[in-house]
Amino acid sequence: MIEVIFHVRRINFFFMIQLKNVSKVYPPNVIGVKDVSLHIRPGEFVSIVGQSGTGKSTLSKMLFAEERPTTGKIYIGGWDITNISDQDVPLLRRQIGVVFQDFKLLPKKTVHENVAFALEVSGEKYQRIKKVVPQVLKIVNLSAQADRYPYQLSGGEQQRVVIARALVHRPKIFVADEPTGNLDTINTREIIDLLKKINEFGTTVVLVTHNREVVNALKKRVITLDNGQIVSDVETGRYRI
Amino acid sequence: MILLPYRITKFALQNFWRNFWLSVITISMLVLTLLSINILLVFNFVTDQAVNYVEDRVEISVYFYEQTTEEQLAGAVAYLRSLSQVRDVEVVTAQEALDRFIKQHADDEEIMQSIETVEDNPFGPTLVVKAESVQDFDFIIQALENPNYQDLIREKDFSNYEEIISGIRGSTERVQWFGYGLTAIFLLIAILIVFNTVRIGIFIHREEIAIMKLVGASSWFVRAPFLLEGIIYSVFALLIVVAILYPVLLTLEPKFSSYFGSTIPLMDHFYHEGIWIFVSELIALILINTISTGLAMRKYLKV
Repeated sequence: MIEVIFHVRRINFFFMIQLKNVSKVYPPNVIGVKDVSLHIRPGEFVSIVGQSGTGKSTLSKMLFAEERPTTGKIYIGGWDITNISDQDVPLLRRQIGVVFQDFKLLPKKTVHENVAFALEVSGEKYQRIKKVVPQVLKIVNLSAQADRYPYQLSGGEQQRVVIARALVHRPKIFVADEPTGNLDTINTREIIDLLKKINEFGTTVVLVTHNREVVNALKKRVITLDNGQIVSDVETGRYRI
Repeated sequence: MILLPYRITKFALQNFWRNFWLSVITISMLVLTLLSINILLVFNFVTDQAVNYVEDRVEISVYFYEQTTEEQLAGAVAYLRSLSQVRDVEVVTAQEALDRFIKQHADDEEIMQSIETVEDNPFGPTLVVKAESVQDFDFIIQALENPNYQDLIREKDFSNYEEIISGIRGSTERVQWFGYGLTAIFLLIAILIVFNTVRIGIFIHREEIAIMKLVGASSWFVRAPFLLEGIIYSVFALLIVVAILYPVLLTLEPKFSSYFGSTIPLMDHFYHEGIWIFVSELIALILINTISTGLAMRKYLKV
């Protein structure tokens, strides 16, 4: 039944992500995001840039219902998630892969177990877990490290495990919030290459970053935020702050 | 369909083992609570048996004058038996009374000589009256004041068993109240400890919970292992209590029986009623754990 509802809700993918006059105000009167409207089409790669405290993370968190807007409307694949119920949040999150700056891996689980964990808690069958996990580990180039523990991996490898974990649900949208914040240049390039690869598979990628080199090298759409507001939205943009 | 229950059980057992000492403390507290309740139940059972035993032996001996005729005696017996408060009336004839007396004092030469000096049977007939309950004796004694029989009765001998029984009941009640108080304190501590265990469990697993939420686990899936953990605590606590109680009762039964001079069927009671008592206790414990866990999750687990 849940699956049926979700399939019905997924039908409209003309706008993968749509925000209409979205504002987020934290008590007592701190503005996170102010009157933001934007459309992101399926398969787009969009970088959201801006200085610290300009509302980038707030905006990205609203996409997977970690934060709720104070005013305005948010649609994901045509599904109005503005006032999404707690019951529906897990369904939304199985459609959106999320990666943060801090890796959030379980230290006592191996790479394979960490990735499988996302499927286990969603009730996936073991046969599917057995099939999907090696596939995503191959995509992120970590097949050889499957039995290692997070502490035995480099920062870049750990972030790739997080990406693999976010990929196991085959999400339509991939939100990466400062995924290279803790990484050196080489690992940063690897992660960005991986995000490009994910995008090439057809997944919509939203990259939140303040890394100038990354944004300039991507040559993709760039949305710039300042004081919670969109100050520029350029199809093939550069980092201009 | 059995996948989710299996995984929830797996996570619950993981929580249990990862916080082993916390689990031990929680179970210990539940064991103490259950033990105090069960000791109270055993105590109630034994005192009830003891009171029944004493009550069973309480009787009034009604001594009639020796000149009382058999008809008069039969009338008194019929009258007493017509009272609903009377359980049994035993008739001891004058001769039987004499025989019993001689038998009882056969070793006492002085008494035997004095009996021999009296030519006639000095005893009259006696009625041994047993009441339905110890409270009925007052009524029966009053009933014997009936003018038809009053003049035939030489003496009424009623040892003050009521005082003994009310003494037993009084001290039983005091011990019971102490037991209730102790149980309430243990229960309160157990609830607080379960609450704290869940709180610490949530704190320890905060990263795991955050990841579960991030990757699309339902809030029910996140909560269920904590609730199941409470059930595991309850089951362990009950098994430990049964394992403690069984040998203790087995040891105590003969001691109680020899103390009261009658069989106290403690093990019989354990075999027949034990299953219901323990199932009820398990249900109550699970309920308490669930409420406590629910409160802790409501306060600390934001899913």
